[in-house]
Amino acid sequence: MPETPAMIDCATAMRQLFDYLDDELTPAREAEVRQHLAVCAQCYPHFAFEQTFLAALATARSDRDQPPPERVRTRVVAALREAGFAPG
Amino acid sequence: MTNPPPATGSNAPSQSSPDRDRRFEREALPYLDDVYRFALSLTRDESDADDLVQDTFLRAWRSWHTFVPGSECRRWLFTICRNSFLRSRERDRGHLSLEDGNVEALAAIVIHAGAMREGVDGLLARIDLAPAIDAALRKLTEPFRSAVVLVDLEDQSYEAASEILGVPIGTVRSRLFRGRRMLQEMLFEYAKDAGFAGTADRSPFRENPDA
Repeated sequence: MPETPAMIDCATAMRQLFDYLDDELTPAREAEVRQHLAVCAQCYPHFAFEQTFLAALATARSDRDQPPPERVRTRVVAALREAGFAPG
Repeated sequence: MTNPPPATGSNAPSQSSPDRDRRFEREALPYLDDVYRFALSLTRDESDADDLVQDTFLRAWRSWHTFVPGSECRRWLFTICRNSFLRSRERDRGHLSLEDGNVEALAAIVIHAGAMREGVDGLLARIDLAPAIDAALRKLTEPFRSAVVLVDLEDQSYEAASEILGVPIGTVRSRLFRGRRMLQEMLFEYAKDAGFAGTADRSPFRENPDA
């Protein structure tokens, strides 16, 4: 039978909020934070905000997924060949 | 297909050059796009990014014998790129006096609590933030910038970022959280400047979210 997560206070939950959102907590600590957020009306808005903020940053990431100009690859390969790179 | 890889999978310099170069071409060069994007994030200048990418791949090729076959080549290249960037800037890597992730995490909450009181916290859901985020990222300074770029834009774990930056995970965590907080402060300022503040309430930030 799974153990019931320990009750943690607001400060403890908020100190771990980013770790929680980044999936960097152990399962036990993740369960503690999740349970706290489920019952704490004061902390939940912070969680919702930070989650939205990180999602907006992730959107910025996808916006940047454009290939570099061809000149970069051409220049890098030319510099490597000049240095002796010869894959055949 | 000639010169199959040796049984050990080694990249040792004794290996024939064409074979070594073919492996470099096959395993490292495909990450040129990723390295360029990372370099551009660090330098914020296309010309500097071009130089940094070239320097990164030249160093990587010369050090190819140190790459451990089977390990993550992208992470290895990012490490070289980051080190080259630091070398080019001759930057002091250890000037921060306080690096405490827990303090930074709570500070971000305090900032948000203040934004809630000012009525600007809902802006993320209401407006197109892409231009503001892009501008804020450009303004973000080192060493916070690298931590945010690696974890939030390049989707690296704390552990991977720690390896790339050559600092403990606790330092990555602190820099990442402070970088996020700085971004949020810039976004809130952007919202206020743009007239999105919902109320005239200018109460000071709460010192403690538990208060």
